[in-house]
Amino acid sequence: MSSMTVSPRAASWLQATPFTLIMTCLVMVPLAIIVSVSFMDFGFAEIIPEFYLGNWTDLLRSSLTFDTYKTVFRQLAIVWTITLLLGFTISYYLIFHVRSNMWRAIFLAACAIPFWTSGPIRMISWVPLLGREGLVNQALMGTGVIDQPISWLLYSEFSVIVVYVNMLTMAMAGPIANSMAKISPSIIQAARDQGASEWQVITEVIIPLIKPGIVVGTIFIITAVMGDGFLVRAMSGNQMNTPAVAIMNEINAFQFPPAAAKSVVLLLVVLGMVGLLLRFVDIRKELAR
Amino acid sequence: MSEQKNKGLSRRGFMKGAAATAGAALGSGVITGFPTYWAQASKDITITHVGSIYTTNPTVAEQANKDLGFTVQMQTLDNTTLINRLLTQAETVDVADFGNTSMGYFKNKGVLMPIPVKEYKYWDQTVPLFTQGTYADGKPYSMQGYAPIKSQFWVDESAQEYSPTPTDWLVGIPVMYNADTLGVRPDLVPHKVTSWKDLLGSDFAGKVALQDGVNVGVPDAAVALEAAGLMTYVDKGNMTREEIDKTIDLLIELKRSGHFRSFWTNFDQSVQLMASGEVVLQSMFAPAVTEVRTRGIECQYLPLEEGSRGWYIFQSAMAHLDAGDKLRRDCVMEYMNWCNSGFNGVYFSRQGFYSSVPDLMKAQLPENDYGYWYEGKAATADIIDPFGKVMEKAGAVRDGGSLWDRMGNVGIWNTLMDEDRYLVRRWQDFMAA
Amino acid sequence: MGTRRSASYYILSAVFAAFLLFLYGPMLCVYLLSFQGPEGGMSFPMRGFSLVWFETLFTAGGRGVGDIHNSFIRSLRLGAIVAVLTMLIGLAVGMSFRRRYPGSNFVFYSAIISMIVPGIFVGFGISLTLNMIGMRPQWWYSGIGAQLTWSLPFAMLIMFIILGRMDKSYEEAATDLGASSFQRFQYVILPLILPGVIGMFMAGFTSSYEEAARAGLNIGTGNTMPMELTGLLGAATTPVMFAVGTLTTLFMFTLVISTLLVSARLAKRRQLRLTAQHA
Repeated sequence: MSSMTVSPRAASWLQATPFTLIMTCLVMVPLAIIVSVSFMDFGFAEIIPEFYLGNWTDLLRSSLTFDTYKTVFRQLAIVWTITLLLGFTISYYLIFHVRSNMWRAIFLAACAIPFWTSGPIRMISWVPLLGREGLVNQALMGTGVIDQPISWLLYSEFSVIVVYVNMLTMAMAGPIANSMAKISPSIIQAARDQGASEWQVITEVIIPLIKPGIVVGTIFIITAVMGDGFLVRAMSGNQMNTPAVAIMNEINAFQFPPAAAKSVVLLLVVLGMVGLLLRFVDIRKELAR
Repeated sequence: MSEQKNKGLSRRGFMKGAAATAGAALGSGVITGFPTYWAQASKDITITHVGSIYTTNPTVAEQANKDLGFTVQMQTLDNTTLINRLLTQAETVDVADFGNTSMGYFKNKGVLMPIPVKEYKYWDQTVPLFTQGTYADGKPYSMQGYAPIKSQFWVDESAQEYSPTPTDWLVGIPVMYNADTLGVRPDLVPHKVTSWKDLLGSDFAGKVALQDGVNVGVPDAAVALEAAGLMTYVDKGNMTREEIDKTIDLLIELKRSGHFRSFWTNFDQSVQLMASGEVVLQSMFAPAVTEVRTRGIECQYLPLEEGSRGWYIFQSAMAHLDAGDKLRRDCVMEYMNWCNSGFNGVYFSRQGFYSSVPDLMKAQLPENDYGYWYEGKAATADIIDPFGKVMEKAGAVRDGGSLWDRMGNVGIWNTLMDEDRYLVRRWQDFMAA
Repeated sequence: MGTRRSASYYILSAVFAAFLLFLYGPMLCVYLLSFQGPEGGMSFPMRGFSLVWFETLFTAGGRGVGDIHNSFIRSLRLGAIVAVLTMLIGLAVGMSFRRRYPGSNFVFYSAIISMIVPGIFVGFGISLTLNMIGMRPQWWYSGIGAQLTWSLPFAMLIMFIILGRMDKSYEEAATDLGASSFQRFQYVILPLILPGVIGMFMAGFTSSYEEAARAGLNIGTGNTMPMELTGLLGAATTPVMFAVGTLTTLFMFTLVISTLLVSARLAKRRQLRLTAQHA
């Protein structure tokens, strides 16, 4: 320790400085502007710098707020459940069943590759898949399962959920797989030796140990679903309104103050959810463990 | 290969036009005899033009750089980014274009440069839609919505308010315009569509779409509601709160009954909806109808009883130019004149948009193309777009006929209502329903 | 697990295969439709089979292609810089979290906030701030900065996961053996967290390559790929978009495979050097 010239605390500060600078200047300052703008009046594509509470009273009183949050929470619950189950299954398979490191890497890469195509292109590609004349309907009609194309495959809540699951399962699976990889094989072997079944190993050994992974994955899912407006708009055919979509609509109409107020509320809601999660599992404490 | 051939073709048309307009339009430096020092000095200037995909593209930029002594840099942006950019960082832009749905944002902002009428060479040849507020035959057009004349002139050089009557200061130079109506899949509809009211007819339930948004989708819905006898408006293009409430309530009812299949936000979505058969009747842009047809799918653009929905795109210069380098301002004016003079107009005319100076186009477009696009004549040979793709076979006649058949019955213009704030708020309710 | 494959292995393999199919479903449409015939559109049916859309992409000036060529290069350049910065800054901030320090909560929650605030607002806020202090946005500072607000929180979380996995006893052993803090980092920590570092690089690149909401207003006059594509959707589009998708996938695939190979090699070399030094 004598050779060290900086104290550990100072070292931490130094290490965090570039990150903190960027977050302060480029996130916190704009955020402060957003908060102050939410208390201003507005005209045609202009913010009128006068104190005005209308954005907040409208937001807190209207049924629109309630409706949009109801929609997004429903979507979040469904997406979270599916991605958790699917993500867990996939991670479990990759970590505990695939034995070769090479194959594991190849499988992981295979899961990541579809995400390296530009978002707008990926979004368009769902139409030829799920549309009335799309591949899925053609396959179903070809095999005689249906004789009329199903129209709720596209531009419906169904398509919104499907695309979310498609895009977010890996965001859940990744952190879970990481937590699983941390589990020492000897613990599982010990449980096995004592006669635990595979199911018991999963529920009594693995799940308690991968909580941090689940929490990180859940944070990804929450922020993605709550914060996204683009996907919902495209996949519902603009027929659904969530808080993020409402914000987008107002920004597209250059009505910044109400959009700012909605953003602040959304931010507080999501921060509250994340904070609550971290109360149960402190992912930072896990580091010191 | 066809692309090459086609480039040659348009180049020929271009040269022909050059001769016809006695060089006024082209090769500015050489032909109009600008002093050489001007060309020398301007060659280091780069001007930035931001706009939509219709007005900014590499083909036109390349030609501009060839014809003019300076560099034109183009950037294609979506409308939201574009308007935000102009309002917050106007100094990073020299030339920009936008349509009637955005005109309301530029009043009292000091962002746009007042363009002196005398500095725009083709004002005398511009269609009266913009110069007089009338159709070609002198009849006044519908003033519902943001009609061209409502935002064509500044009251004075201060460029704060729009004048409804001609002045010496232009808000922008009109570039292109068109009339939109309903597109239909004739193979999939139960009966012939003749009125906007069919958009709401129960026999089309679940198979219609609207444009998503308050500037195009709502006026369209209003025209349909009025045609169906469900609503009456004083001005569909500028509704009162009460009218907005009634309209949205009616639309919510329809939405809840599953009447709408989708609401499209961009060109491509509207084409996809129609081409894939998701939708059989919807409001769409003219080139979108053509696009569906080029995929071998039947699609018609219908002249309807209530008329069409008109729109236009202006090209404006930014206010910082007046305060800055004189040479740069000259280059910008030179470029804006160039934009309507030939190549660019020919380029977008052959995609189905109308030029604000059709006489110039007549001189430069091949006769068959002008006949098809502007005069409503049957094509004597295949109609090929600027990229070499066959758009229509020989013998085809443009839906709706000639320029003035199509443009001469505008029922409403794309708009930005005074009650936009309230309308957006209620539109959100509609979306959430 | 036992040496013999259990029934669950086969069931899970089937689930994984089905998941891959689901993951690739829309991408298969992209790949297939990029070979659409010259008369074909952006949805099925295929009207012939051709390379014409790839040709259009490279001969430029073709329909619906816009400025894809240049925007692609801009995106790659931006992505590479953002990736390197994300990696370095993310690594540093991750290391800082190995100790509790006053202000660590602020650092942590500012990252969470950055993930949640709608991107367009971050972008708009940055652009307003620049406007107030009279600076013109340029891709090389405001563009990069705006994108870092998106990529860095992910880097931070990746570091959490990786550092959490690290066995502290190695580090303690190195200290006991008299390693300086720098040596400890170079020889012990870095090899252990190397996969995470590469992960941060990839996360930085991917998030930059995909990002438009934040950068859009702060990039200056050159469009990036997602901006250009969004702009193009405003007009007639063709399977050329899908050709772009197919090519980017191929390109990224090559990039990933080579990164994997290089990192495997690096790790091996490090291990060799470590063994040599200890021998």
